[in-house]
Amino acid sequence: MLEIRNLHARIADGREILKGIDLAVAAGEVHAIMGPNGSGKSTLAGVLSGRPGYEVTEGSVTYLGRDLLALGPDERARAGVFLAFQYPVEIPGVNNMYFLRAALNSVRRARGEADLDAGQFLKAVRAKLKLLEIGEDLLQRGVNVGFSGGEKKRNEIFQMAMLEPRLAILDETDSGLDIDALRMVARGINALRGPERSIVMITHYQRLLEHVVPDRVHVLSGGRIVKSGGKELALELELTGYGAYGDAA
Amino acid sequence: MSRPATVKNAETLRDVAGEGYKYGFVTEIESESAPPGLNEDIVAFISAKKEEPRWLLDWRLDAFRHWRQMAEPHWAKLRVAPIDYQAATYYSAPKRQNAPKSLDEVDPELLKTYEKLGIPLNERAALAGVAVDAVFDSVSVATTFKDKLAELGIIFCSFGEAVREHGDLVRQYLGSVVPPGDNFFAALNSAVFSDGSFAYVPPGVRCPMELSTYFRINAAKTGQFERTLIIADKGSYVSYLEGCTAPQRDENQLHAAVVELVALEGAEIKYSTVQNWYPGDAEGKGGIYNFVTKRGACRGANSKISWTQVETGSAITWKYPSCILEGDNSVGEFYSVAITNNLQQADTGTKMIHLGRNTRSTIVSKGISAGRGQNTYRGLVRIQPKAENARNYTQCDSLLIGHKCGAHTLPYIEVRNPSARVEHEATTSKISDDQMFYCRQRGLTQEDALSLIVNGFCKEVLKELPMEFAVEAQKLLAVSLEGSVG
Amino acid sequence: MSAFADLEPYVEAFKARPEAAEPAWLARRREGAIRRFSELGWPSRKQEAWRFTDLRPLQRVSFPPAAGACRASAADVSPWRYPAAGHRLVLVDGAFAPELSVIGDLPKGAWLASAAETLRRRPDLLEPALRETDTIGAQPFVALNAALFADGFVLALEPGVALDRTIEIIHLGRAAERSSQLRNLIQLGAGSRATLIETYAGEGAYWTNAVGVVAVGAGAALRHAKVQDEGAAAIHLAHNRVELGRDARYESFVLSLGARLSRHDVHARFDGEGAACGLFGATLLRGEREGTIASVVDHAAPGCVTREYFKTVASDRAHGVFLGTIGVRPQAQRTDANQLSKNLLLGRRAAIDTKPELEILADDVKCSHGATVGDLDDAALFYLESRGIPVVEARRMLIEAFAAEVIERIEDDVELRAHLGRHLARWLAGGAG
Repeated sequence: MLEIRNLHARIADGREILKGIDLAVAAGEVHAIMGPNGSGKSTLAGVLSGRPGYEVTEGSVTYLGRDLLALGPDERARAGVFLAFQYPVEIPGVNNMYFLRAALNSVRRARGEADLDAGQFLKAVRAKLKLLEIGEDLLQRGVNVGFSGGEKKRNEIFQMAMLEPRLAILDETDSGLDIDALRMVARGINALRGPERSIVMITHYQRLLEHVVPDRVHVLSGGRIVKSGGKELALELELTGYGAYGDAA
Repeated sequence: MSRPATVKNAETLRDVAGEGYKYGFVTEIESESAPPGLNEDIVAFISAKKEEPRWLLDWRLDAFRHWRQMAEPHWAKLRVAPIDYQAATYYSAPKRQNAPKSLDEVDPELLKTYEKLGIPLNERAALAGVAVDAVFDSVSVATTFKDKLAELGIIFCSFGEAVREHGDLVRQYLGSVVPPGDNFFAALNSAVFSDGSFAYVPPGVRCPMELSTYFRINAAKTGQFERTLIIADKGSYVSYLEGCTAPQRDENQLHAAVVELVALEGAEIKYSTVQNWYPGDAEGKGGIYNFVTKRGACRGANSKISWTQVETGSAITWKYPSCILEGDNSVGEFYSVAITNNLQQADTGTKMIHLGRNTRSTIVSKGISAGRGQNTYRGLVRIQPKAENARNYTQCDSLLIGHKCGAHTLPYIEVRNPSARVEHEATTSKISDDQMFYCRQRGLTQEDALSLIVNGFCKEVLKELPMEFAVEAQKLLAVSLEGSVG
Repeated sequence: MSAFADLEPYVEAFKARPEAAEPAWLARRREGAIRRFSELGWPSRKQEAWRFTDLRPLQRVSFPPAAGACRASAADVSPWRYPAAGHRLVLVDGAFAPELSVIGDLPKGAWLASAAETLRRRPDLLEPALRETDTIGAQPFVALNAALFADGFVLALEPGVALDRTIEIIHLGRAAERSSQLRNLIQLGAGSRATLIETYAGEGAYWTNAVGVVAVGAGAALRHAKVQDEGAAAIHLAHNRVELGRDARYESFVLSLGARLSRHDVHARFDGEGAACGLFGATLLRGEREGTIASVVDHAAPGCVTREYFKTVASDRAHGVFLGTIGVRPQAQRTDANQLSKNLLLGRRAAIDTKPELEILADDVKCSHGATVGDLDDAALFYLESRGIPVVEARRMLIEAFAAEVIERIEDDVELRAHLGRHLARWLAGGAG
C-alpha cells in the first residue's frame, strides 16, 4: 500500500526535519508512529498529504505503485489518501454538508462511481453520524466553525468515514479529547478497519492505542524511525518514556 | 445571471469550470440607430422616436445643457481610457414595423437571443414567480406577466410605455431621487436615456412575483443608457432583479444607467443586481464601462430599501447604490460582492444618508481582487443633525488572490448627531493557505477549493439574494475567478 | 479677498528677513520653498486631505513670523514641565530661550541643541531637516515653514547611543497675530534610543507651524510624545515626517487639548524590513474648536507592523476629524497593520468626521481598520448614577476613561502615562462636555 524509502524533508527555513525515513505499510494494517514533540511526526503527515511548506530533498514515497510525491494534495485525496488534521481548519460561510458532498462526489468520480444525489447523500450521512454521535445541527454550520476541540476531531473521523479512503493518516487525532470522545473516535476508526484499508496513526501518547490496537508501532525520533515493534512497544514506551530514544531534534 | 437554475445545479461547481464568458455572442438583427454624436438634435431625435410629450423633451434638453457644463469625474480610483462622447451612438433599436402587441409579434431572433441567455420570454416556458422586462440595446422588447400583475394594480412595463400610459406618475417621480444634474453620468443619462423599466406597486400590495429586467447590449459602438424607476406606495412590497450581459467586443462600451427607487410610508423595496457585463479579455481589451447611478429614497416612515449586488463583469464598475433615509425609522441596506480579475477595476460602495429619526443602515461589502484587478470600496455614512438615534453598521472585507492585485477601503463617516451610533470594521487578507490545503486534502481541485472558499467569504451577501439569483451568482463567482490560481 | 492677497504678507516677510549668515544650500532651499508656497497657496476644501478642515481662522488674519517677539519667565514654563525630564529645551515664539533651558550631561555622540545653534555650529547636522520635497511637495505649510523657520530643536544620536533620560521640548506662543515657524529634527543612528516629549502651550491668538523630520535608523527606537495645549485662540499646525530603517521602532503619542484650530499630520514610511510603528493619540475638543489628526503610513518594505489608535472627544460645537491612510506597496509582503478611530460625540452641535483608509497592493498581508462614533454608554452612565455619582461627575469619569484607555497603550513608561493622565484630568476639570 505505502512504501517510504529514505525520506528526507526540510521546512521553509531550511531546517531538515525528516532525515531518512523508511516505512512500509501493507494493505489492511494499522501502524502507529509515536515520538516526542519535535521528532518530525507532523512533518511526516504533511509530506505524505502534500501540504505546502515542505521540501522533499531525498527519497521516495510509493502509494499503490504510484509516486505519491508527484501528485497534488487534491489528487492524493482523490487517489484515496486521507489526512485527519491535528488542527482542523475553519472555513466560515461554507456549509459543512455542502463541503462534504462536494468532497465526496469529487472522490467518487475519481473512483469511477456516480455522484450521490441529495437523498442518497443524506442517508449516508445519517448512518455515519450515529457512529460518532454527531448532531445533525453541527453539519448545518460552517466547516469547523464554532466547533469545540472534540467536535472538530470527531468531524475529521466522520469525514473519513464518508470518504472511505484507502490510506488514512491520523495526525494526533487523540490530542485534546476527553475519555468519552476518545472512545467515540476510536470506535469510528475501528469501524473503518478492513483488509483493503491501511491506517497510520501519529500520536504522542499510548492511550489511543488501547482502543485502536495497532499491528505495528514505530518510534520516530530526530527525524528517523529508531525502533519498530509490535503493539507491546507502545506499552513499553508508556513505562519508560521517550528518554531512551535521545533528544527530540 | 439569467436563468434561475435549480439548487441541484448550483451544488456542482464543476459545471461551470472552463466556461469563460458565455454570453459574448452577437445577435444578427437589423437595427435602427441614431447617427453617432451627441447634440440637442440627437436628444430631440430620441425623444421623437419615443413619441414623448413635450415636458419630457424639455427635461432631457435641460439635462443635456447641464451635462455640457460638467466635467467627467476623476476622483474614483480608476484608470479610464478617454471616452469620446461624440463617437458613440445614443440610440439603437431592433427595427420593427409596429410595436408588438404580444409576444407572438416579437421578432423571433430576439426571442432566440433571450432563450440563449437563459431567459425564456414565453410565459409558459418562463419561471413561475418572475416577471421579466427584456431590454435589448435601447429598448424594451418584451415584458412578461403584465396582465397578471395588472390585476393587482401593479404597473410593470417598459419606461417608454410608462411615459405614454402613466405619464403623471413618471412626471411626479422622475428625477426626484437622482436629479438630472446630479453627476456627469446621470446628466448624460437624463439627456439620452432610451428605455428601461418602470414599476409601481399600489398601497398595501405585496407583489407576488419577482420583477426582473434583463439588460442586453448588442449593437457595436453603442452606449446603453437605461432608466429605471420603481415606486412602492404605502405599505407595499416589491422585489426587483436586474441582470446584464453584452457581446464580447474589443472596444469599450459605455453603460450609464440611472435607477431611482421611491419607498413611501411602510413600503419595502428589495433591489438585487447580478452584473455580468462583458469584462474585457485577459489583457484588458474591451469590456463595458459600467458607470451607474443608483439611489433610493425612503420617503415615508418605516420604509425600507435594500440593495444587493454581485458585480462580476465590466471592465470598469463605478457605482454607489445609495439610500436617503428621510422617513423616521426607515432602513437602508447595502450588500455587495465585487470581483475583479485580470485587468478589471471596480470602485463601488454606497452612501447612507440619515435624515430621519431612528434610521438604521447596514453595509456589508465583500471585495475580491485577483489577477491584476483593482477593487475599491468607497462608502459614505452621513448622520445629519436631526437623525436622532441613527444607527449604522458597516463591515468591509477584502480578499486578495495573487500578488498583482489591489484592495482599497475608503470609508467616509460624517456624524452630526451625538445620539448616533456608527461602527465600521474592515479587514484585508490573502486567501488562506490552510483553508485551501484543507479543501484540497478532501479531494477538491484548486479551482473548486477557491470557489468554495470565496463563496463562503461572500455568504452574508449571497444569502440576501432571491434563491434563483443566488444560485447563478455562486456559479458566476467561480467563472469570474478562473485562471486566478495555479 | 483673493488667495494671492492672503499669501502676500508671508512672501513679504520672507523678503524682509534680516540678512543671515546662512549656508548657500539653505538659502537656495528657502528660495525654492517660498516659491512653492506661492504656487500652492492655501489648501482648499476641494483637496481631499483638507476637505474637513476649516482654515478660515488662519486666512482671516496674517501671522508674520514672531521670532523672539516676547519673553517668558520660569513661572510661565513651570506648569508645563515634565517631572521626569533629564533635558529641557524651551522656545518662546519660535526662538530658543537659553535662560529657561537646561541641557544635562549628554553621552558622547549625542547632539541636542536649538536649530539656530545647530546651524551655527554644525550646519551639516541640520541639512537633512530640509528636503527637496519642501520645495516641490504638495504641502504649503511645510514649504512656508522651510522658507521662514528661524529655530526649532535638533536631536542627533550617533549609532549605538542610548539616552536614558527623557528630553523635553517646550514651546510657548505669546505674540498675538504672529507665527512661530519651527523646524525640528530627530536623527537616530543605528541601534540608538531616545524618548522625547514636545509640549506646545501659550496665550493669545498666535499660530504655531511646526515641521518635524524624524529618521529612526536600523534597530533604533524612538518614543515621541506630544502635548498640544495651545491657547484657546491659537492655531496649531504640525507636520511630522518619519522614516524607519530596518527593525526600527517608532512610537508616538499625541495628546491634543488646546487651540481653536489644530491639525497634526504624520507621514511615516517604512524603508527597511521588520520595523514597527505605533501611532496613538487622544484629541479632546470643546467650544467651537476643530482638531484633526491626519496620518499616512507607507509600507514600502516587507514585514513591518503598524498599530494606529486615535480617539477623539467632541463636545459643544466642536469638530473632530481623523484622516488615516495605510498604504501597502507591492513589495511590502507580510505587512501587519491595524488602524482604529474611536470617537465620542457629545454635543448636539458637535461633529465628527472620520476616514480610515486601507490601500493595499500586496497580497500576503493582515490589515484591518475600524471606526466608531457614538455617545457615552447609557448603561454605564446609569450604573454610575445609581451608585450615587452625580451625572456631571459620572460623565467626566466616562470621558476620562475613554481617553485614558489609549494612554494605557504606552508600554513600560509609567511616568509618561501619569504625565499625560494629569494633562487629561486638568482638561476635564476645565468643564466636561
